[in-house]
Amino acid sequence: MESIKKAVALGLIASMSLSLAACSGSSSDSSSKASDSSSSSSSSSSSSAASSGGEIRLVNGKIEIDQQLKKYAEEYSKKTGVKVTIESLGGGVDITGTLKGYLLSDNMPDIFVFGGEGDFQTWKDEIITLNDEPWVSDTDVAFKSSDGNVYGFPYAVEGYGIAYNKDILDKAGVDPSKLTNINAYKEAFEKINSKKDELGLTAVCSVAAESGQMYWSTGNHLFGAYLAQGLKRDDTTYIDMLKEGKIDKERMTQFAKFIKMLFDYSDKNTLLSGTYDDQLALWANGKTAFLTQGNWVDPSLPTYKATFNCGIAPLAFDTKDTDGVLADSPSWWAIYKGSKNIQAAKDFLTSLATTDEGAKCLVTDCGMISPFHSTKIEPTTPLAKNLMGWVKEGKTYSWQWAKMPVGIAQNATGAVFESLAKGDIDESKFVDMMEKAIADYVAQNKTN
Amino acid sequence: MKSLQKKLCIAAILTGSAIFIISLFLLLGKSENPYKGLLLVLGLLLAGGGIFKFPFKKHKSIMNIVFLFPMLFTFALTVLVPFVIGIFYSFTDWNGIKFSNFVGFENYVAMFSSPDYLYSFVITVIFTVINMIAVNVVAFSLALLGASNLKGTGFYRAAYFIPNLIGGIVLGYVWQFIFNKAFVAVFEGSRSMLTDPNLAILAILIVSTWQYAGYIMMIYLTGLQSLPRDVLEASSVDGASGIKTLFKIKIPMIANTFTVCIFLTLVNSFKQFDLNFAITNGAPSRILGGKAIQSTSFLALNIYNTAISKNQYALGQTKAVIFFIILAIISLTQVAISKKKEVEL
Repeated sequence: MESIKKAVALGLIASMSLSLAACSGSSSDSSSKASDSSSSSSSSSSSSAASSGGEIRLVNGKIEIDQQLKKYAEEYSKKTGVKVTIESLGGGVDITGTLKGYLLSDNMPDIFVFGGEGDFQTWKDEIITLNDEPWVSDTDVAFKSSDGNVYGFPYAVEGYGIAYNKDILDKAGVDPSKLTNINAYKEAFEKINSKKDELGLTAVCSVAAESGQMYWSTGNHLFGAYLAQGLKRDDTTYIDMLKEGKIDKERMTQFAKFIKMLFDYSDKNTLLSGTYDDQLALWANGKTAFLTQGNWVDPSLPTYKATFNCGIAPLAFDTKDTDGVLADSPSWWAIYKGSKNIQAAKDFLTSLATTDEGAKCLVTDCGMISPFHSTKIEPTTPLAKNLMGWVKEGKTYSWQWAKMPVGIAQNATGAVFESLAKGDIDESKFVDMMEKAIADYVAQNKTN
Repeated sequence: MKSLQKKLCIAAILTGSAIFIISLFLLLGKSENPYKGLLLVLGLLLAGGGIFKFPFKKHKSIMNIVFLFPMLFTFALTVLVPFVIGIFYSFTDWNGIKFSNFVGFENYVAMFSSPDYLYSFVITVIFTVINMIAVNVVAFSLALLGASNLKGTGFYRAAYFIPNLIGGIVLGYVWQFIFNKAFVAVFEGSRSMLTDPNLAILAILIVSTWQYAGYIMMIYLTGLQSLPRDVLEASSVDGASGIKTLFKIKIPMIANTFTVCIFLTLVNSFKQFDLNFAITNGAPSRILGGKAIQSTSFLALNIYNTAISKNQYALGQTKAVIFFIILAIISLTQVAISKKKEVEL
């Protein structure tokens, strides 16, 4: 009896130790695959893979282009022998938070995405300058810090304004190229509104201003017009004022008038409680003429079988003409300072920027607009094509909103937009509240 | 004999620990050695065996600790250490990666002087109180029905319990659709409940109650079913009405169950996050004191947004520490009261 017990105990010990050994063994090769979303891959493994040389890992923040990038990475490694692993985060994942976890667990990718001034402040000690890269002189939208150093590689240009359904505008007799000031918009809105029934519209505009989920559309994108519309690309007047907690009341009043008009002509349910999908569906199904989004809606259009002609018109809130859309790189790729393959990472970015294959990946496959002047390939999707026209004519304003204090849209200004949408406040109250919200938020951020 | 065993044991412990430490170095030093895992286990086994065979006087209690060690170690690593580090971070300017200086109680001062946190605190308390009452009333009524002689009670019990099995985020998005689309379509011309600050809190209350009542119902049900038959029979022979039996016999006899349920709902409501996040994520806006603020951002969501969306990890951590203290006070009070009750019974 006793011996049986002993045998069982021994067997158990043996199996346990084996499983333990197996665990620790398997962890060492798990992350050479650089698993997609799992941040659990052990620290020991990742850097051992990196140290073997000729291997880089890129964390991409745009999940829509995951497959395309992977395809390019494969071609690239066939050509150069450098293995590139693409890891895409997105779909509601907190990218900065995940990357912070990677950094603390010694699992940092060689190239990773960051989203603007706020993120840059977080990462500035962890990334290298890219001043001497060949693509720097070929683009307007590389990420430059305030001291003029280049830190971010732009992989796309995205642009927005007020997207329009050209077929509806034609039927209503509105010329979209004339939409360059608030009065032109007013006239166009009135005209379309009067023909609503015969055009089959439920409303003129498709806007969503609910502050819980759509704050990015109102508080960032629309607000971006206040900060940059009509200004030179490097003019930082209004964003500098905002960073000090101040606004230009006159400009804000004019902006408020335009937003109020936009809201007044919008579908009420979508405006107050709609999601991005609701907002998009309304426009893509031909139920509204205008949509306050940008060229990123292109990939969704086939889902709605939307075949109408469309384009982007300026967010021209002023009485004088401001003929340009807001276009910039939505986020940038930076190279991690602690990477063991800095040169390989730089080479990969250069190939993406300068080779035809790279341009094909970014423009044709991903459906984006290349941020590089030398790129010859043209986009094929409707809004991107239209945006390309604006970019070529040089009629673009920069995304100054990306330099706002982190979280201001979600935690402060988004709610002001929603209040205006609900009719709780009028334009003048909107200006007052915006001033107070910004001042308070900036003050609170400074003390912390 | 004893001394030889002693020497052997000491040798085993020493070599075992040495192997263990070497293999740890290999692991942390990112070596490519394929045997490092096996080496680690071997070292541990050798050292453990040495301790096991060592002729201690208090062999048993030392063995207890040795065998508990993996559990204690894991507990310390996953609960105690992060907790202490968390409190530590609340006194620094940590940004999620590193901190550069200590700020003392600055975070605590900033927190209590920030209106959004105080507002979140107030609505969380209001929500907690109402939700606690609503869940318990609904759950107890359902439990009474479930314990009665109605046909198909088994089916109803299961049906009421099911919402609790679905994840809060999924439920939240489903209900958001119901509030935003279904209700608006049914009552033509009406606005979604989620666009009004007060109705939006009510909406979260409805979903929260709907989700949690089934679970609490199960606990009440067990309480009701454990009531001794003879007491109930005696009361009915004496001619007590249903209402009287309920208030004079059933409820006093399952007072303990009430304490448990109230405690559970209290803590659960106070920690409400997933439904809040999925249904409203802070919206709609409310005008308060000349400022437009997010009206349904409960404490947990406020903490999350402070750290993640505002990128103020230290301040978020500070709020979380206070959140913990409040929860700890509630729990300890509750436990103390329930202990007292148990003694009385």
